[in-house]
Amino acid sequence: MLRPILIPALLLAAGAGALRAQTDYYARVGAVGAGTLVRDAIGEEIRVRQSIAPMVALGASLPFSPGYRAGIEATLASGGFDAEQEGIGDTDLGTLRTASLLLGLDGPISSALRWRAGVGGLLYWPSEDTGIFLEGGPIRFLAGAGVDYRRPALARWDLMVSARYDFHRFTTDELERRGFTQAQGVSRVSLSVGLARGIR
Amino acid sequence: MSAPLRRLVLGSAAVAALACGDIAAPSRIDVYEWRLEAPSVPPPGLDTLSFHWGKDDLPVRIWVEDADGLPGHMAHAIDVWESAFLYGEFQATLVSDSAGADVVVVAGDPTTAVRAKRLHSASAPECSGATDLDVDVENRRLRLPIRLFIAATLPDVPGLERCLALTSVHELGHALGIFAHSADPRDIMFSDPGVELPSARDQRTAEAAYHTPPTLEVVRLEPLE
Repeated sequence: MLRPILIPALLLAAGAGALRAQTDYYARVGAVGAGTLVRDAIGEEIRVRQSIAPMVALGASLPFSPGYRAGIEATLASGGFDAEQEGIGDTDLGTLRTASLLLGLDGPISSALRWRAGVGGLLYWPSEDTGIFLEGGPIRFLAGAGVDYRRPALARWDLMVSARYDFHRFTTDELERRGFTQAQGVSRVSLSVGLARGIR
Repeated sequence: MSAPLRRLVLGSAAVAALACGDIAAPSRIDVYEWRLEAPSVPPPGLDTLSFHWGKDDLPVRIWVEDADGLPGHMAHAIDVWESAFLYGEFQATLVSDSAGADVVVVAGDPTTAVRAKRLHSASAPECSGATDLDVDVENRRLRLPIRLFIAATLPDVPGLERCLALTSVHELGHALGIFAHSADPRDIMFSDPGVELPSARDQRTAEAAYHTPPTLEVVRLEPLE
């Protein structure tokens, strides 16, 4: 199951020979916003939402045909989450970290713009195993896409500005234990800026 | 339709199907009456009294007498009830100073208390419990602290620790706002509880109590005249 992740990762880490020269590395910082995690109703409607969270992203890719690359991108975000209820207000539920790993492809749109799409997983990592995360944070399947804008900034480094959208369906073991069915569709959007080792 | 276009349409349909639908919350109709009926003033009639700790009251401060292992049992009871809620509605912490505590837990039988509405519980041979609610004569205000009494009636008998543990959970259930007893012995809030943890029905009832406007207002003042 881990083979699709491990093989490219090991190849990139090894960075041996000709691959090293063609490997594209980047790091970005930015912010990610997500939609509602849970909708519930006990008297009034309750919505559990994450705050806009700072994030870091690291990635690398290798060419597999002219103009196209395959790569891996990891993100880590940490922010608050709360329950909103009419008449009661917001209840702070603590800190919620998320980590994602996406395997994807990217290709050219124009000289400075590239598209990117991938699939992977998203781990929810709450600061405390309480409430909806009483049985721990889940790992959910994730699909995402985005665009990267790059322009030369330093001798070997490019300025990189990225926009991402991804989607997953959210539930937890505790919600299922309590009789919640199906899962909540959650969209996430992020904007980030960073540096990429230029491949010219 | 060309093959690439067909794949694109099918792929888009699959993504759209994934995106459709929200999480579906469970039905919460299976609850028991948690409110306390008290003679209305002036009579005749009954007032229905309900209470829950507000967001600004959290964490509820609980002082426990250091006897019969009660601090440990009450810490467990706090964990149990905090876990009953999904959205942080109830949180409590043990404090070392009884002055200013919201809930006071005493080892032993209840003393006579003027104006207190007493909820007797747990008539097992090993231990017993009771909760005193100091409600004013108009049934509008609840004066703090809420007093819990947990008594080891037969010291050093087998089953005493279990009895103290489940009685602590039961009495804290009263202190968080479940003022009435369940009629089902599978619930921790049954008048003579035999189970150690809240049932799903106990959890739903606690949730209902915390999402229903209370009739009692908390008062942190000197004894009412």
